[in-house]
Amino acid sequence: MIKKDSLSIDLAENIKVLESIYADCSDVIFRHFSIGNRIKAILIYIEGMSDMEEMDKNVLTPLMLREIGRQFDIQTILEKNLAVSAVKEVSTFKDVTNEVSSGNPVVLINHQSQGVSVGFAKSEKRSIQEPTSESVVRGPRDGFIETLSTNIVLLRQKIKSTDLKTKSIQIGRYSQTKVVIMYIEGLADHALIQEVENRLNRIDIDGVLESGYIEEFIKDHPYSPFPQILNTERPDVTAASLLEGNVVILTDGTPFVLIAPTTFYSLLQSAEDYYGGFIIGTFLRWLRYAFLLVALLLPSVYVAILTYHQEMVPTSLLISVAKSREQIPFPALVEALLMEGSFEALREAGIRLPKNIGSAISIVGALVIGQAAVSAGLVSAPMVMVVAITGIASFMIPRYSAAITLRILRFPIMFLAGTLGLVGIMLGILTIIVHMCTIRSFGVPYLQPLAPIRNTELKDSIIRAPWWSLKNRPHWTSDYNKVRQPNGQKPSPSKGKE
Amino acid sequence: MLERGKISPVQMALFMNPAISATALLLVPSITAKHAHQDLWLSPIWASFIGYFIVFVSYQLNKLFPNQTIIEYSQQIVGKFFGKIIGVILLLFYLHITGVIVREYGEFVSGASLFHTPMAVIIGTMVLVCSLAVRGGIEVIGRAGEIIVPVVLLLYVIIFILLIKDLEIKNMFPIMEKGITPSLMGSVSPQSWFSEFILISFLLPYVTDRKRGMKWGMISVFSVTVLLVLTNIMDLLLFGNMTASLTYPVMVAARYISIADFLEHLESIVMAIWISGTFIKITVFYYAITLGTAQLLKLSDFRPLILPIGFLILLFGLWSSNNLEELSLFLGTSGAIYILSIQIIIPVFLLLTGFIRNKVQQGKGNNENEAPVNH
Repeated sequence: MIKKDSLSIDLAENIKVLESIYADCSDVIFRHFSIGNRIKAILIYIEGMSDMEEMDKNVLTPLMLREIGRQFDIQTILEKNLAVSAVKEVSTFKDVTNEVSSGNPVVLINHQSQGVSVGFAKSEKRSIQEPTSESVVRGPRDGFIETLSTNIVLLRQKIKSTDLKTKSIQIGRYSQTKVVIMYIEGLADHALIQEVENRLNRIDIDGVLESGYIEEFIKDHPYSPFPQILNTERPDVTAASLLEGNVVILTDGTPFVLIAPTTFYSLLQSAEDYYGGFIIGTFLRWLRYAFLLVALLLPSVYVAILTYHQEMVPTSLLISVAKSREQIPFPALVEALLMEGSFEALREAGIRLPKNIGSAISIVGALVIGQAAVSAGLVSAPMVMVVAITGIASFMIPRYSAAITLRILRFPIMFLAGTLGLVGIMLGILTIIVHMCTIRSFGVPYLQPLAPIRNTELKDSIIRAPWWSLKNRPHWTSDYNKVRQPNGQKPSPSKGKE
Repeated sequence: MLERGKISPVQMALFMNPAISATALLLVPSITAKHAHQDLWLSPIWASFIGYFIVFVSYQLNKLFPNQTIIEYSQQIVGKFFGKIIGVILLLFYLHITGVIVREYGEFVSGASLFHTPMAVIIGTMVLVCSLAVRGGIEVIGRAGEIIVPVVLLLYVIIFILLIKDLEIKNMFPIMEKGITPSLMGSVSPQSWFSEFILISFLLPYVTDRKRGMKWGMISVFSVTVLLVLTNIMDLLLFGNMTASLTYPVMVAARYISIADFLEHLESIVMAIWISGTFIKITVFYYAITLGTAQLLKLSDFRPLILPIGFLILLFGLWSSNNLEELSLFLGTSGAIYILSIQIIIPVFLLLTGFIRNKVQQGKGNNENEAPVNH
């Protein structure tokens, strides 16, 4: 109510209102001074959020030493006295508090219904480092940080076109977090941009501390375990998605940006697929697809075969497996659940523990589970191998959010394998396939381009075709801009002179 | 409309293949072999003509009533009352047939690996998974088909290739020793499978490109024919005249596979592949029943019907027969006539009546029935 009111002409009144707004805020400073010894003015700022040295030099000094001429208003002060590029006029209390909260000191002058905010906000920021969650051998080493403006700069440096657009909104009643939607005009579908904006505007929450909060609010299928929006800390991945016509959502205060829409295949791609040559990229992709199945199914298949389909195991192998299981008191299912459970616990403990203790835990875990449990006859050696291979396989999936989904799904399938054998595993797989066929991410079917089939996009999902042959953009790009690059760029050795 | 999704003709062709062939692959070779002996590989070719004919009939019916399924236009063709009766007959028939299909699945799974699991559990779990797909509607079934069917077909071809070394060409001769009659007799049972293509009359209203729908329907029939001929040849060349005495020749064939003395006894793998094909088959039938019932009762949504109908399918599966022998006998004798009569006579009757009515009304200058009714 008061906050929305515009500033009054009378400075004393303004001060009274602002002091009541900032009651019990010991960090908000009201600095009274007068311009040219005659006109009263006040400077309001939050201690530590602004660069006061610059403030003194460029704002207070010229204002206090100013001679007052015939004409005196905000415009002339802005034009002649403030040697600062980032200034903004404020006219309501809401503006004033917004500016002060974001660290820009505000100057209010008597007899003026407008104030000036000076862009001397100073924030603590981390330096740009290599992202730890997605490391590459070849590729750029910079990663997003917690400061929104820096993240936008990182993207602007990669895409310099003026078509790169940013739309800013605020989410969070108390946190008032700045969220920016980024897209490339002419590549991103307008309906998609509008949809993203609508979904973001719908959010009404106390505070947004991480982009995960937003993700849960704008997902298409809130109960699905599958990640429907990609998150990344890498500017190059983000820039690549922008170029494919995706919309990117940057949130202040977190290095993780959201990318929509997302298909299942983009969760299985690493940035390096595109940097290391297409034959290698294709090979790595196939390896990843194969180990995706291993990560999901290996323990279940082991359990099913040992419990129901022993005839599938060649005799010599069966004898050695049976020998190692001779002393084990548990059925295969219980053994598998125990081992997988403790492996997950170890992994989780390893992340939460302080770095220097973490290695100790992994040694203890390896010794206890790998060695002692086997020699004590609690678990069999083949089971340890199965769990280890499954663990390695689940780390091959480049996106943490996708890997953890698969790890969760492994457990119900293990139960099915223990109760219905291979039939149970098939039922589990079919359920997952049906579920994935149901999901859409911002209108794009999740299993695209395999279901529904899109021939041109298969080139960049089942294999990684060479860059010069990736002629078309993904289909969710707006319809009028389908072609990425012209034909005939396939390189060949120059004919030369004979 | 009840179903807002759309599928492409290719999607339809893809999932119609296992919707016909999944159970046919298991039971048909031995049923056919009883009559056709060494000519059993010819029988599917004769039987496929029924398939082409039925696809043609459903396409023509769809041309008359583009946005309606067989349940809806039967009421337009023969009037509300008799149309409803035809609808009820069709839906009860499909409920029974789906019960038979899930029973085939249950018998096969319990015979191949889960010997002690109660039939209700085996069938119930499958129907539950299928109900998820039906819930997703036609688009989800179409997409699931695109993922599953190519994998199933590829693995099937691989199995065939692995068996080549065990095949004995001489089992095939003499071709048509007793003329064409034995193979024609053997084709009666596969004909009943091919007549199931009438299911596309439930799907055609939701196909994006109807013209290509007809073409891809024909391709689907052809692919099923090829698959059945391949299976029959494989069984014939492996077992000769023994084929007739085996219940699941394909499963027995899988036992012959041996790669490097390490990969042996792959019948569990074959079973797993086969399950995914059957899943599509049951889902398509289940979907047709659910959609048809909702249309017959003029409901605004078919989803509330899914679980009750699933329960009915489970019950029909338990009731349809006492054991595998009874089931196999039914499908080889009276069942064939039963299935053929309903799936051929009703659509042909509807098409002829609709055609004549259309002609008569056009003569009167009244085009009421031609205008598609959108719900």
